[in-house]
Amino acid sequence: MDNISALLRLSTIETKLFFREKQAVFWTFLFPILMIWLFGEMFGKTQVAGMSYSDAYVPSWIAVNILTTALFTIGTTLSAYRQMGVMRRLMATPVRPWVVLAAHMVYGMIIFFISAMVMVIFGVLLFHLDMPKYPANTVLALLLSVLRIFPFGFLMPSLEKNVRTASAISSLLLNLMLFLSGATFPLAIMPRFLQGVAKVLPLYYVIDLLRNTWNFTPIASNMTDVWVLLFVMIASSALAAKFFRWDAS
Amino acid sequence: MVKAIEIHDLCKSYRGVQVVQGVSFSVEPGEIFGIVGPNGAGKTTTMEIMEGLRKRDGGQVSVLGLDPKVNGQELRQRVGIQFQSTSIQEKLRVKEALSLFSSFYRKVGNVDQLVQSLGLTPYMNVYFKDLSGGWKQRVTLALAALHDPEILFLDEPSTGLDPHARRDMWRLITQFRDQGVTIILTTHYMEEAEKLCDRVAMFNKGSIVALDTPSRLVTQLSRSKFVMFNSEGCDEKVLEKIPGVQRVQKEHGNIRVYAGDLQEVSRLIFELAKARQWEIVAFRFEQGTLDDLFVNLSEGDGQHQRVAASIDN
Repeated sequence: MDNISALLRLSTIETKLFFREKQAVFWTFLFPILMIWLFGEMFGKTQVAGMSYSDAYVPSWIAVNILTTALFTIGTTLSAYRQMGVMRRLMATPVRPWVVLAAHMVYGMIIFFISAMVMVIFGVLLFHLDMPKYPANTVLALLLSVLRIFPFGFLMPSLEKNVRTASAISSLLLNLMLFLSGATFPLAIMPRFLQGVAKVLPLYYVIDLLRNTWNFTPIASNMTDVWVLLFVMIASSALAAKFFRWDAS
Repeated sequence: MVKAIEIHDLCKSYRGVQVVQGVSFSVEPGEIFGIVGPNGAGKTTTMEIMEGLRKRDGGQVSVLGLDPKVNGQELRQRVGIQFQSTSIQEKLRVKEALSLFSSFYRKVGNVDQLVQSLGLTPYMNVYFKDLSGGWKQRVTLALAALHDPEILFLDEPSTGLDPHARRDMWRLITQFRDQGVTIILTTHYMEEAEKLCDRVAMFNKGSIVALDTPSRLVTQLSRSKFVMFNSEGCDEKVLEKIPGVQRVQKEHGNIRVYAGDLQEVSRLIFELAKARQWEIVAFRFEQGTLDDLFVNLSEGDGQHQRVAASIDN
């Protein structure tokens, strides 16, 4: 099939190009480890809602990493490509638009998978991380979360004309979710109002689902999370499809 | 013979501004067809409609028998497109770019031979961003041509190139034509249109104001037949009184005498020069160029668009 070979070639090339940006590689993989280490030094001995530090926070940092991959790895690449006219050039070939976007999904998944592996290894070595209780369920939850969060990466650069504004908004979104979705601080210590806000943020459900399948229950017992994620996935994909722009003009 | 391109009464507007209005033309297979005109004349919009990258508001367009509005994907299997200002991924090596773009097409031509004829062989492992303008242009030309397209659309292929690289580009374009490819190109450079194109359409304000071979455009439409010479002592007031002279221009001792019958006027100029002892140097007949013609045409509607037309001078 034409489309499949184009998809494979594009994802391979994009992944290769990612590894040619040495600094981006360094920070992409170092950032989550740094955070796990930092929070481990602070809360490493504490128990969070019946989980050890690493069992609670490594899954949630993996969840956060889905968002950073969407916003910064995929999002930044796409807005730069739009600015430089790379997207326009691709659209001047017979390649189908969905193939280009799917290739960026695949490339994002590869980068995300590597950083998740790095985090798990780091967690095992330094903080006695346990392996997931329901591994297949965890993988399924991850896949669902990735499909849910990645459309953000397509949406953000389309809404903003300017690369800088786009990355400023992405940073704001990330920081907001970091502190309010339970990824960094337990929700229990927050006032009720903020707990309400947290449940509106999509990352909350991603974290909840990942933590649960990792530590307690299979995916079938967490259908609320699943339905919310599926719903938002369809909504955000539709938005991304509607607003995605191929060129900067 | 079946036309490569047929356009009838094409219209397009953006936010209420009519950028292309009632454009009609056709292109024969194997032709190099030039589209010239000032910025904002509708050249690029017309190109993008032919390429199926923009939707038209009205009129009929047929490219290789296909309607670009309906069969864009199929059309782009058979035509090649080079943009003026787009780039490819910066850290892509030339050979990677070629193999990536090859994967987009049903069939690919002889890429090795293409690479060789474009002189890209020594650059196959270089990042795109590290190439100079002329070599980048060759790479994007290779990407546009690697599937043996029947039509090549080139948007200002030599803009930003130094004179040497520009000449190389002309040679390459001619090579493609010799292989039977139909070529549509836009340009700001009248010299390029004159040297390269079989026929030229002059766009102004969204319409075609002239369409013919470059030489016929110049001879039939040019209002600027003149003789030109250098002379320090010569008095233009006297020249203006010669019967048949329409206009005299003098700039730093460089004189242009516009007239209908150049031969008779020249004889009279030399008689005057002998009588008044003017020294005449570098005397020559000039027919005017597309440049002059273009300035005339775009000034014809009372607007001064000299700037746009003569950017290249």
